[in-house]
Parts: sequence; structure tokens; C-alpha cells
Amino acid sequence: MSEPTSSSPVAVPQQARRIGFRLHRGDHLFVRILIAVLLSMLCAGALVAVSGHDPVAAFVALVTGAVGSPHQIGAAFNRTTPYLLAGGGVAMCFRAGIINIGAEGQIAVGGMGTAAVALVWFDDLSAVSTVAALLGGAGAGALWAGLAAAIHLGRRVHEVLATLLLNFVALLLVQQVLAGPLGEFGAGFLQSPLLPRASWLPRISPFNAHVGFLIAVVAAALLSFTLWRTRFGFALRVAGHSRPAAAYAGFSLPLLTWSVMVLAGAVAGLAGGIEVLGLHRRLIEGFSLGFGFKAVTVALLGALEPLAIVPAALFVGLLEAGSLSMQRQIGVPSALVVVIEGLTMLFVLAATVRRL
Amino acid sequence: MSDFLAAAIRIATPLMLAALGGILSECAGVFAVGLEGMMLAGAFAAIIGAWLSGSDLVGVLFSMLGGAAIALAVAVVAVRYRADHMVTGLTANILALGLTSYLLRVAGGGRPIAIHLTPLQAWPIPGLADLPVLGPLLFVQPPLTYLALLGCGVLAIFLTRTQAGLTLRATGENPEAVFTSGAEPLRVRMLAVIACGAIAGIGGAVLSLQQVGTFTDGMTRGRGYLVLAALIVGRWNPWGAMAACLFFGAAEAFELRLQSFGVPVGSYIVQMAPYLIALAVLAGLGRSSRLPAAIGQPIRTE
Repeated sequence: MSEPTSSSPVAVPQQARRIGFRLHRGDHLFVRILIAVLLSMLCAGALVAVSGHDPVAAFVALVTGAVGSPHQIGAAFNRTTPYLLAGGGVAMCFRAGIINIGAEGQIAVGGMGTAAVALVWFDDLSAVSTVAALLGGAGAGALWAGLAAAIHLGRRVHEVLATLLLNFVALLLVQQVLAGPLGEFGAGFLQSPLLPRASWLPRISPFNAHVGFLIAVVAAALLSFTLWRTRFGFALRVAGHSRPAAAYAGFSLPLLTWSVMVLAGAVAGLAGGIEVLGLHRRLIEGFSLGFGFKAVTVALLGALEPLAIVPAALFVGLLEAGSLSMQRQIGVPSALVVVIEGLTMLFVLAATVRRL
Repeated sequence: MSDFLAAAIRIATPLMLAALGGILSECAGVFAVGLEGMMLAGAFAAIIGAWLSGSDLVGVLFSMLGGAAIALAVAVVAVRYRADHMVTGLTANILALGLTSYLLRVAGGGRPIAIHLTPLQAWPIPGLADLPVLGPLLFVQPPLTYLALLGCGVLAIFLTRTQAGLTLRATGENPEAVFTSGAEPLRVRMLAVIACGAIAGIGGAVLSLQQVGTFTDGMTRGRGYLVLAALIVGRWNPWGAMAACLFFGAAEAFELRLQSFGVPVGSYIVQMAPYLIALAVLAGLGRSSRLPAAIGQPIRTE
């Protein structure tokens, strides 16, 4: 784990004084992360130059594509939302020393749960049906994560393998459901019918972003509160630093693993539900592709601090929202953004090494 | 039946090569989560190399370089900078996915470049190929399949019968002891990871160069993760891992069979088989599998 703490000889972390950024820490964690981001942008610039384009022009096109107009900012907010939610859940797991790579599957199953509730629920009370659909998604995600936790705890399968393999099963499960009960007959590709209009997420006027972004920011604040101000959060942090210390302090490690996995699954499932209700307005095949791994990127970029994940997720969301107009205007393939994400994460990992 | 077994061997070949690399890395104490990315980079480099030079051999050499390049990133970050192995491996996979699809488009001037090569043909081994059952199964295979089988034997001998193999395994069990004996565990681990990348890169070349003759985005599709399961099932033994890969290959071949017979099971449910089987086998092994003692633990160098 790249647990970002200063070199304290005591294994148990001190209770933090207040929620939020911990810039006062001695090892300048966020400065290191910023340097890592800058380094990866430089590398990306070199890659653009090698491909025969002007890196500065590409960067300008990327930025204007992301924040050029209120609608573009709104699109970036929408893009940010799933990373913010799933990244927060992943960060909570990582804090407890549990490497949950299952966000992708949890998002997929969450979207499926939301679509199922929205299609079955015939009700004109829009707020009620929307909330019920989102809760259905969170519940489905929590169940999926719980399944991974059960395999991990019950049979000692490493959590990375349990969550990874379940991702593939989840993607195929969504495809199967779309080919069967939830599918739209004769659509040509795998998708559900359009969900009832009442269940769609409302949009925020100047940006045309859906309210999912606000939900995600509130969720990040709640996760931060849970991490720093509750007994559960304290137990998570102790377990992340030293499992024997947590056991000695009387915390039940299996229970902790269960609850943090289910929590992360629920948030990821909610992210899937928001994607379905806010963006696509139907369940489509492969809508969750790649979100799970990038959630890990975002969690590490935000130093596993739920509130710091907000700018980290915005960074990734803005990059991705701007990448398409960079491709259109300059001709630099938008896949460059994935390279930037990978490089950033490598540099962050190297720069925030644990001090033993 | 022999068609079915041939299909199982064909599907298992890339897994087997990746598993050989993974054994090197994990026995030296570094989790091989980056196998997926190393295979993908290898698959891409193989096609580009073979297309540029017109020679399949150059393609295979390129695939080793491609896999090793991703592995170098893993080695530096996970071994030298002591970051978490699992997360570093995943990162390498993202990087490989991004780099290959970016470069594929740069090479095509904005659109993915379309390269279609003839897949590698079978090399029947004279004499042995005429054996009644085993002949067509084992001795009429494309060249990289022979390489995988040969590599298994070489790796088994290397790990158990040579000084270097002993040092490698000791690094995975007890790096301090290796340091005391005068070797450098850090260097051993870095070399093991880079060699892992080169071998897994050939596994990627099997997918692109030997099986289809082209490269598509993310064409490894989770095979690297299946190999991780195969390593555990095969207990980090080359022959055991090979058997596990063949088993996964057989599961997939069986799935293809079912589909071609029009069995009325949802096709997507059937596609889950390899992953579900991997989970079930891992769960069945449960507590009995024993990892190298120092796997995942950083080496301190003060």
C-alpha cells in the first residue's frame, strides 16, 4: 500500500484534528503528487511531439474542450461523477489495506439494479421512483462487493483476484440480462428500452450537468467524515496500518473487511445507477468499461483522502471531456488521456512511497 | 475429441507463456498483476515489428521488447521505489492499454492502422507428426506453441537445478538471506520482473501474430488475470501452471463447442465459465495454497 503518512514510529495513527486536506504534513504529500502530475503531462507532451503534432496546441485544445463553455463544463462534471463516487469507495478500502479492484463490476451491476427498478416501478412520483432506482443500484453494487468479500474471507482467495475475476462475470451478466429480460427487442445492439422519463435525474440549468455530480460531492464529504470522525473510520485506519494492532484493539477484522467492501460496493453501485439515470437514460452494454481501474487512479491521486478525491476526479474528468475535442481539432488520438492516467499513477506511486 | 484437445492447446498457449513469466516474477517475490499489460504490449509490438520488417522472427523479438518495457516500469516503481505490487501492476496495465491504442492510431495517422498479416502456420515435426493420436495434437503446432512447451522444461530446470534459480527463489522467500550470501536481492527482483515481461510479451505475440495476424485494442481481454489464478492453482511450478492453463484452455474450448452445437444456454452465461471456474478452483484451494514468503514485501536497502 502506498499509505501516505509521515514516518511515525508508532503504528497507530493519531486521530486527525479536522476533516480535509492535510497539507501540513511534513512530507509534502500533495506537492509530490502535483510534481507527479506535471511529470506525466511532460511525458504526454513528448508523446504528442513524437506523433508530429504541437503539444502546446494539443494542450490548449484539451483545456478549451473541457472548460470552453458551460455545457462543456457540465459534460466534464458528468464525466467526473462516477470516478468521484467509485474512487471514494476504493479509497476507503485502501485505507483499511484491502485492495478492492472490483469497482468496475460493482458499477455494472449497480447500473443493472437501477435500470431494473426504474423499468419495473410505474409511478408518477418522480422523486420517489428515482430514489428507489438509485437505492436499487447501490444495493446491487453492495451485494456484488459482498460476494467478493465472502469469497475472500470465507475461502482466503486474495481480494485482488476475487474482485478482478468478478468484474468479468459482472460485465457478462449485464450483457446476458440485456440479451434477455431487460433488453430492447430488435435494437441491433445490447441495450435496455429507454427508462421512464420520471426516473431521469434532473439537470442543473447553466451547465446541463445532472445532479449526480452534487450527490457525488456530498458522498465524498460523508466518506471523509466517516473516515476521520467515526469509530468505524478509526478502525479502518488502524487496520490499514497494522492488522495485529487492530485485532489487539478489539476490532473485528472480518467485520471491518465486510463492511468497508459493502460500503465501497454501494457507492460504486450508486455511481452505476447515476450513469444510467443521468447520462444514458437506459442500460447499455459496456457502459462501465474502464471506470473501475480509473477509480483506483483517482483514489491514489487523491492520496486516499475522500475530499481530496474531488479535485483528483475532476482532473481525470476534465482530461477525458477535453480529449475528444483535442482529437477533433488537432488530430491527437484521445487515447492519449489513458496514457496520461497511467503515467500519472506510476509517478504518484513512485513519489508517495511508504516510509518504513 | 482430438479437435477439442487441439483447440484447448491453442487457447492455452498464450496463457502458458504468460504463466512462465509470472512464475519468474512471483518466485522472486513480486506479484505479477502486470501480466495483462505486458501481454498487450507484446501483442502490439509483435504486429508492428513483423509488419515493419516483414519477418515473424523480428515480430517475436519486438514482442519481448514491448513486454519488457512495461515490465521495466513495474520493476522501477514496485521494486526500486517499493510501491504496492498489486496497484503498480494494475497501473502498468492501464498504461499498456493507453499506449498501444494511442500508438496504433498515431501509426495510422489518426485512425487505428489496419495491419493484416498471415497468422503463423503449423510446423509439423518430421516423423513425430505421423504418430497416431499424439502426432496431430502435439507435433503439428505453430512455432510459438513449441516454444511454450520447451520453455516449461527450461524454466523447471532453471528454478530447481541452477544456482541462479536458487537465488531467485530465495529472493522470494527471504531477501535478507540472499543479501547476506552476497547477492543483491533488489537486482534479482528487477531482472526477474523484466524477464517476466519479455516472456509474457511472447505470450501476447501468440495472440496477435500466431492466432489472428492483427492487433485490436485491449485484445488480451483479461487473460493476464486468468494466468494469475493459474499460477496459484499450479503452485508456482512450471508444469503445474501449464496444467492449469490447459485446464482453462479446455474450459474455453468446451464453451466454444457448446455454442457451435447451439446449446440453449445464454451465450454470455457460457462465456463466464473460465472466470467462474478460476474462482471456484481458487476457493477450493482455499487455505492450502502457500505463497512465496516474502512476496509483496519491499526490500529495504539501508
